[in-house]
Amino acid sequence: MTMTRRAFGIGTGALAAAFAFKPSFAQDVTIVVNGSGGALATMITKIFEEPFTRDTGIKVRATAPVSLPKLKAMVESGNVEWDLTELNGDDVVTATKAGWLAKIDYSIIDPDNKLPAIAKQPTAMVRASYSTVIAFRTDKFGKGKTPQSWADFWDVKAFPGPRSLENSPKGNLEFALLADGVSPDKLYPLDIDRAFKKLDQLKPHIPVWWTNGAQHVQLLIDGEVSMTSCWNGRITPLRNEGKPVDITFKGGALMLSFLAIPKGAKHPTEAMRFMKARMDPAASAEFVKLVPYPGFVPGMMELLDPAFAATLPTSPENAAVQFEFNSAWWAENLDAVTTRWNEWLLI
Amino acid sequence: MKLRWTKTTLLLAPATVLAALLFVYPVFGVLKLSVHDGTAFTTDALRQVYNSQLSIIVLQRTFVTAATVTGICLVMGYPMAYFMAGLSPRKRVLATYLILLPFWISILVRTYTWIILLGREGILNKALAALGLTAEPVQLLYTPMAVHIGMVQILLPIVILTCLTSILDVERDLVKAARSLGASPRQAFWKVVFPLSVSGAATGGIICFILCLGFYVTPTLLGGRTSTLIANLIDLQVHKTLKWDLAAVMASTLLAATFSCLLAYWALTRKRSEFATGGLAR
Repeated sequence: MTMTRRAFGIGTGALAAAFAFKPSFAQDVTIVVNGSGGALATMITKIFEEPFTRDTGIKVRATAPVSLPKLKAMVESGNVEWDLTELNGDDVVTATKAGWLAKIDYSIIDPDNKLPAIAKQPTAMVRASYSTVIAFRTDKFGKGKTPQSWADFWDVKAFPGPRSLENSPKGNLEFALLADGVSPDKLYPLDIDRAFKKLDQLKPHIPVWWTNGAQHVQLLIDGEVSMTSCWNGRITPLRNEGKPVDITFKGGALMLSFLAIPKGAKHPTEAMRFMKARMDPAASAEFVKLVPYPGFVPGMMELLDPAFAATLPTSPENAAVQFEFNSAWWAENLDAVTTRWNEWLLI
Repeated sequence: MKLRWTKTTLLLAPATVLAALLFVYPVFGVLKLSVHDGTAFTTDALRQVYNSQLSIIVLQRTFVTAATVTGICLVMGYPMAYFMAGLSPRKRVLATYLILLPFWISILVRTYTWIILLGREGILNKALAALGLTAEPVQLLYTPMAVHIGMVQILLPIVILTCLTSILDVERDLVKAARSLGASPRQAFWKVVFPLSVSGAATGGIICFILCLGFYVTPTLLGGRTSTLIANLIDLQVHKTLKWDLAAVMASTLLAATFSCLLAYWALTRKRSEFATGGLAR
């Protein structure tokens, strides 16, 4: 079969027309949203991204993991792949200072001004709140005996067995000071020397310093350690499976996680529309039932079963026994403390 | 002759371009990053690294670990290779497959296996407890010992195979000649087989040593805080502290140290004819 020149002409003409008339609406836009990946990303896709694409025509591509160096490389090279990224508190402070984040227009995200002020920072919006708490094995210390404070965590006689902490000074310095008797409202500015001195005591009892959220859970389940610091959302599913593990919010660090737009992002407006979708109360309520990191979504708590709401890190009873992690202090001191931390830990 | 040169150049060109693009250029970038802060030359990063006790200790630790692991691999690998050389060709092929089998499994999987074996509630600790040898679980995992075990398991096949090649290269007739001239089997081994195959063992050793210097996964998964090697420290500077200049200095130092080791090896062996081919082909 040979194609006549005429037929070819018509064909290419039609093709050209198809391209020329393809509407340049939002339907063509795909925003890249960077998060922490894993099971969490699957739930975010189902609960937030798919309905958002249905409603707006804007497609969402999820990437992982959250990485400040990557953000730095993108912004500095001018090749910004992400339109939106998750960041933790001190990353936001660092990135804002370095000028890697774009200013957020809250008239798009929160037109009715319902979001509490704490959630609305100039370059980042609070996405979730979570706690770093004590997680422990319920079968290692005798019946009914469970750690109630960081002082108990440090007490290797009453609560024998190896422990784990995160390989990072963040949070650990606070925990050490709490264990040493500093009251939660007097933590900041941290007494760094005192904290390291207290950490010295526990150092021989920590065979492994965890580096990610999957690891601390595994260490506990495998019996490598009988206590560890832990993100509050990780233990509930295991306890529901009947594993002998539990957490206490006492002495926990209440932390915030943010969404931010890199400077030079290709689709900032669409990214902000997606941020608005992330603040939908019904979807957020569904999400928080699976992942207990609530944040400050207006109208969400009212949609939850009160018994369940009481297990969230921001419930009044739980919030009362925790301290607010001070990201600003850490952004200011992270460099110096990290250098000292590494020398203390790795030599 | 001229045509041959053109042909050679053409055939080598793709590999050269690839190496230049993917290796030489980035390495140059790393070298530059360690002495240049984007606007001017500076020795700031160099001074920070060499004045820090941490980087010196970790660098030392990396070389000591590499030497120890290489030593263990040679002591275990050479006899194994010697044993395999004495097998019938059929059995030797089978043995080679058995040695290559773990080599084909991902390093990650093999490393995780040790977590199951060495853990506090792992197979080894359970066995020790069942035999009544220990009252409390022994801390095996997250120790330097666990890192050594993991690294030896991963690198041993390389050493065995390089040793095997060079032992097989030794003329059997030479051994027969030695025996017929009155040498005991032990003498024949030490005076004939060993000197002729030691270059292969040395090649295996130097490959093993250099691979050790860059180990990252094994110390991360099996090691405790004092098992951190230089690759882990570089990763820390890139991903956690964002000090890429320090990471670049460390990487450059590692590169320079590796080259020095190769140079020393070459200087020590260049006068000796048995090392002339690096034990690879005779």
